[in-house]
Amino acid sequence: MNAAQASSTIRMHTGPLTWLVAALMAMAVLAVPGRAFAHAALVATDPADGAVLTQSPARFSLTFSEPVSPLVLTLVRPDGSQLALTSFRLNDQTVEIDNPETLRSGTHVLSWRVVSVDGHPVGGSALFSVGAPSAAPVAGEAVDWTLRAAIWAARLFLYAGLFLGVGGAFALAWLAGDRRRGQRFVAAALLFGLVGAPLSLGLQGLDGLGAPLARFATPAVWKTALETSYVWTVLIGLIALGLALVSLAGPPGLRKLSAGVALLCVGGALAASGHASAAEPQWLTRPLVFLHGTAIAFWAGSLAPLGLALRREPAEAKAFLRRFSRAILPVVILLAASGIVLAIIQVQQPAALIDTSYGRLLLLKLALLLFLFTLAAVNRWTLTAPAEAGDTEVQRRLARSIRIEVVIVLAIFGVAAGWRFTPPPRALAIAAAQPVSIHIHALKAMADLSITPGHAGEVAASMMIMTGDFGPLDAKAVTLVLSKPDSGIEPIKRPATKPGDGTWRVDNLVIPLPGRWNARLDILVSDFEVVKIEAPIEIRAQ
Amino acid sequence: MRKYLLAAGVLCALGTNAALAHITLETQEAAVGSTYKAVLRVPHGCEGKATTAVRVQIPEGVISVKPMPKPGWTLQTKKGKYEKSYQLYGETLTAGVKEVDWSGGNLPDEFYDEFVFRASLAADLPAGQMLYFPVVQECGDATDRWIEIPAAGQDEDALETPAPGIKLLPKK
Repeated sequence: MNAAQASSTIRMHTGPLTWLVAALMAMAVLAVPGRAFAHAALVATDPADGAVLTQSPARFSLTFSEPVSPLVLTLVRPDGSQLALTSFRLNDQTVEIDNPETLRSGTHVLSWRVVSVDGHPVGGSALFSVGAPSAAPVAGEAVDWTLRAAIWAARLFLYAGLFLGVGGAFALAWLAGDRRRGQRFVAAALLFGLVGAPLSLGLQGLDGLGAPLARFATPAVWKTALETSYVWTVLIGLIALGLALVSLAGPPGLRKLSAGVALLCVGGALAASGHASAAEPQWLTRPLVFLHGTAIAFWAGSLAPLGLALRREPAEAKAFLRRFSRAILPVVILLAASGIVLAIIQVQQPAALIDTSYGRLLLLKLALLLFLFTLAAVNRWTLTAPAEAGDTEVQRRLARSIRIEVVIVLAIFGVAAGWRFTPPPRALAIAAAQPVSIHIHALKAMADLSITPGHAGEVAASMMIMTGDFGPLDAKAVTLVLSKPDSGIEPIKRPATKPGDGTWRVDNLVIPLPGRWNARLDILVSDFEVVKIEAPIEIRAQ
Repeated sequence: MRKYLLAAGVLCALGTNAALAHITLETQEAAVGSTYKAVLRVPHGCEGKATTAVRVQIPEGVISVKPMPKPGWTLQTKKGKYEKSYQLYGETLTAGVKEVDWSGGNLPDEFYDEFVFRASLAADLPAGQMLYFPVVQECGDATDRWIEIPAAGQDEDALETPAPGIKLLPKK
């Protein structure tokens, strides 16, 4: 009902609304994301990082270099379960946190995320043990399902606005002639988009900070959101939605132009962020996402106005149907071709279709698409000709079939919105290849050690050796010793070589197990002097 | 009780064995201000290879070093300035031997040998503390470095390749 009222409002108050939309768009453009530079640094924690306590502490405290306000405080118990710490006080630059329960013995992680005065969020964690240290707990992936559902729904709203709304406005302006059937549907979709776009931006900020839904209105959340590339998707998306409204309700002279630009903006909005646009090579992926998005908007947007026109005023809909069926074949080819290339880039290996949740969503989407294409092909090659000729029975069947298509299209949007939570196999492969690095600092020497890739298996280690006060240290020899006392594996000891670029390297190293290893560097400073420095290093499983 | 003693004995024997695998000094205590005869015991080569050189660094406060020549080995010393001057039998010493090298020899892994030098321990060395003589053992292209000195509070047994050392006793 609201949507219908809104669309009639549009028709009645054309002038002011156009101005409102223009003003909103100008504001959106002006609100370009700013960057924060300074931020708070952790000065001390109580218990100190690595401390072993004899009994459960009554409270924790975190002291920062400047006043902060906590966003998320969590305690990870030795078994990996999490406890949200909600009771805390701010005391100048110190956050004092009450411990609500008596901790059992073992190693705990105090994880914190705070916002400094400049609005920049920073996070970290401190490890401490009660009684005796145990294996560092691995925090189970705590999924905030409420937040996820909200993110998914907002995404779906935005897609509905961009594809059904903007695409619908385009179809009305360019294909429907002077017929306006489906205008209410299109206006409603646009309003969904206008609601979904800002919501989805704020939720992106919440997700980026790992903050719960209750903190939606916190400035830091929005500041975080404004620093992501997703802000461009929302901005361009809002422009598309605004232009589509202008096309629906604005002066007739602007109808086609604004609808055309709005359609291109849909492609632009999608190409501005997201997994697919972030993939390499960018010169290929961004244009492909643009084409894919524009083609979806054209096809999906036409369905509702066309179906409604066929059902309500079959005689006049014939011209609409003719224009649509002439244009749709190249559009679908474009849609499928760009989709296939993007899928190949993202999935990389066929096995990933089944092994990863991204791949499984893609399979689901492909199954829905297969169904959709079958329906569309039947419509195009068996129903369109008699419908154009004026067969009312066929026209009714076509209208019903189009209604089913719209439902499938919505389901596909739902699946695509689910991709928000599943990194593509391509990104997983890149993440797996990331090195893990540590800095070891001692009085006599220090070192930057990085292990590439940072997971168990065959790796290479690279070391940069310096004196304790950042001076050059021309070591005679360096030996890397990796040990994992809790696993019963003998220390792995490898002499490093000097490739000549100022670093030391150990190639063909095999780390048999993931987990917390102890990395020690034996640095031979002179013939008779060795300096040994060590630090723990976290090796990923994959 | 007998079982306990037996277990203790076994532990002792194992402990001694572990220590025997290192290069050590025969006499492990000496009074400051006295003359010390250092006998370096080399129980094996480097990972099965024959020892071809033994080099020992002389710590500050160990003066007037005279190494004992060894048939089949080339004996060399490296001299340098002491960090301060020492009085010995009415003479002022400011420089002397800082490193002793026996090289060019061949001591197979399955044989044992000793390398000897004599020195004076300065009277102002801190009694009650340990004094270490880092040793580099060369076996052709392989090298074992007995040069680790425990940090304050660190257990000497935790070191993989400890430097041989002696406990300084009060002046007699």
